[in-house]
Amino acid sequence: MSFTTKDVVLKEDRPKTLLLQKHSDYLASYGLNKDDYEYCMTEYLRMSGIYWSLTAMELMGQSSRMPKEDIIEFITQCQDSESGGISASIGHDPHILYTLSAVQVLAMYDRLDAVDIEGIVRYIVSLQQEDGSFYGDKWGEIDTRFSFCAVMCLSLLQRLDAIDINKTVEFVLSCMNFDGGFGSKPGSESHAGLIYCCVGTLSICKRMDALHADELAWWLCERQLPSGGLNGRPEKLPDLCYSWWVMSSLSMLNRIHWVDKKSLEEFILACQDNETGGFSDRPGDITDPFHTLFGLAGLSLLGNTSIKPVNPTYCMPQETIDRLKLKPQILQI
Amino acid sequence: MQKIQIKRKECTLDKELLELTGNVLSSNPDIYTLWNIRRDILQLFKKSNDNIEEMSQVYNAELHLTEYCLKINPKSYCAWHQREWVLLTRDDPDWQKELELCNTYLKLDERNFHTWDYRRFVVSQCKPSLKDEFDYTTEKLMDNFSNYSAWHYRSKMLVELYPDRKGGRPIEDSHHKHELKMVQNAAFTDPDDTSAWFYQRWLLGAVKTTIDLVNYTVTPTKNTFAFSKHVDKNYVSAKTKLLINNCVVNGEWVSCTGNCYDVLWIFQHSTPITKKINIKVEYEIDNGQKQIIQGVECKEMFYIGKNQIKFERNYSEAVIEELKDQLESCRQLLNLEPDSKWTMLTTTIFLHCIDAKAYHTEAIQNLQKLKVIDKLRAGYYDDLIAKWCIEKQLCSDYENADLALKFSFPSPVSSLPYLQYYSYCDSVDLSNQQLTSNIFPSLIVLQHCKKLSLENNNLTTMKNFPDLDLVELNLLGNEKLDRNEIELFTKKYNFNIIY
Repeated sequence: MSFTTKDVVLKEDRPKTLLLQKHSDYLASYGLNKDDYEYCMTEYLRMSGIYWSLTAMELMGQSSRMPKEDIIEFITQCQDSESGGISASIGHDPHILYTLSAVQVLAMYDRLDAVDIEGIVRYIVSLQQEDGSFYGDKWGEIDTRFSFCAVMCLSLLQRLDAIDINKTVEFVLSCMNFDGGFGSKPGSESHAGLIYCCVGTLSICKRMDALHADELAWWLCERQLPSGGLNGRPEKLPDLCYSWWVMSSLSMLNRIHWVDKKSLEEFILACQDNETGGFSDRPGDITDPFHTLFGLAGLSLLGNTSIKPVNPTYCMPQETIDRLKLKPQILQI
Repeated sequence: MQKIQIKRKECTLDKELLELTGNVLSSNPDIYTLWNIRRDILQLFKKSNDNIEEMSQVYNAELHLTEYCLKINPKSYCAWHQREWVLLTRDDPDWQKELELCNTYLKLDERNFHTWDYRRFVVSQCKPSLKDEFDYTTEKLMDNFSNYSAWHYRSKMLVELYPDRKGGRPIEDSHHKHELKMVQNAAFTDPDDTSAWFYQRWLLGAVKTTIDLVNYTVTPTKNTFAFSKHVDKNYVSAKTKLLINNCVVNGEWVSCTGNCYDVLWIFQHSTPITKKINIKVEYEIDNGQKQIIQGVECKEMFYIGKNQIKFERNYSEAVIEELKDQLESCRQLLNLEPDSKWTMLTTTIFLHCIDAKAYHTEAIQNLQKLKVIDKLRAGYYDDLIAKWCIEKQLCSDYENADLALKFSFPSPVSSLPYLQYYSYCDSVDLSNQQLTSNIFPSLIVLQHCKKLSLENNNLTTMKNFPDLDLVELNLLGNEKLDRNEIELFTKKYNFNIIY
């Protein structure tokens, strides 16, 4: 059996420069047509969609084009007074994912006063289990993504004291694998997205010392394929969003120089659509706000000066993190 | 959707709502709220219905819906979680059927981690023998070695089934050897598939590890203790005792960085440190034994205790024989394919594991070749060269009484691992490297350094420079450093700064 490496080939006519204005226009008009099929189909994650769009616009210095008051009003309507949690959209149920997205948006707007903070704290505390893990909502799904949501959300609210940090860390560490990486539950396979969540959790809890940094950073730099793009785990195709999850993890590990920056930058730029604006998962595919954020955030980490500095732990503008006086841990080299 | 929301608001949790939500989920399985509603309905049905037969049918219909949804999106978190919920809620779960479902799905996509996670959930409930599950991974791997997911699952069961409890090693010898053979076979079957190479690297590193006290420094102003790994206050105070003239000294432990876990700890006490006193440290290692590390007065009132250090891995004879065999096979493959990154990297790792000292030059030359063959990861190979060179230099530096540190690297480095091993040095020369300002936090371990040179590096800012008790700092040859920033910096500190 002959083996071929899964990868893409970058075409000659690909975009090679950063099309900032196009992306700003793309995001500013996204969601204006409420009957758009994709828009309707993704109502169940709307709160996260708002976070992706707003963060991308902030990084481009274009957030004045977003409907700030409408967004804040929307968020207040999505908080469930009984549980304290926040839902993805009006009429949907509360969940830790969307509670985080809402708090991230309000933090960027410096409008955390718009929601019942005690309620959010109460909701998150109620989701922590005895082994330190977190439910996503009252229905009991456990995933390290939710641990990350919990500590990130509480740290933005300056209320990390409300949960058991030692147990939180213990649970995350119980998800460490032979390759130094992390999955969603104990025993789950390593995956770049979950690695970002677990490393981010340890960064906020100041326990980066517990990582097997060299092994993990090596596994992460091996995500880079000949095209320059990054995949999420071995033998998979590259996807732009991994430019964020792999690079931000390497940033926190202080080993971003283990990846070839030039070819990664070429790959990221190739994922732009020079007609519609926005970024897609791979060159030539349809763009969306999710990949647009991670393309811009990835370029920011690579040092692109047309984009504002992004904080690798929080995936929010560094200036927001500075304003909140948060200092997530970065590993020494 | 609106009809659904109205019915829910009115609390009409009935069959019609079940039908409505089912229809929507069939085309969009990720609307989590609809699955929540279905669970509410099913719970209500159960409360008002004692008939196991009827409920069984309801649960079966639910499972049927999840299967339909998984066909559309086999990675739908919601659909998989619903399946879990039904299995945990019903009184008559058929775990064997679920295991077979996993087998079927894994035949379609052996890398779907949702399926593997679901399999682990089923296994945790019905508890088949671990050996059976282990054999399942063997079966999947024989079918296709390029199955990282199977290697990963295997790694968990290997250490659970065959640990070497007596020797304190993660994997018992004969099984360690067998796995090494199996993975080499897999790697050679297709040298371009990465899965087996990752598993092999893990096997090579799966040895007993220890936490060592590597050095301590006692002076009238500061007492520091350096460890090979990060430890916390409880560990340090329980395992380490400072003795002056054979009397245990009581004091307080403070971490060098202020973090709970650290590699360098400061011991604060009020016993005066003078000339010609007897200084010893007792350090408890993991079998309960106590190491005694004698302090030497290297200069007046400056006592240093250096422990025996080694970086070699502790393999058994059987494993070493296997490694030597495999090294030969790797060399042969390398002759046929000199540009094969994985063969070159693995050969190099074998050299380092079998005899780092004897093979040092060849290993470093290989890493430099790898910077060309695998140029995307040139930065990684640079740091690995630095790491192995420092390990070599440390072994000889710990044999001599020199208080000055100067690195000898084949090419300039951008990282400095093991710096806490040099915490006793009073003069540190880091000139002519490729260090950036990112290195500053790491320098905090140089607690006894008086003279520090960072001449000819790539510093861009003085931000985050650590609080050190220096006498002299050399910043010449860092072109990108802003003069104004340096001048502000010099006003802050009263040591001599050369720029």
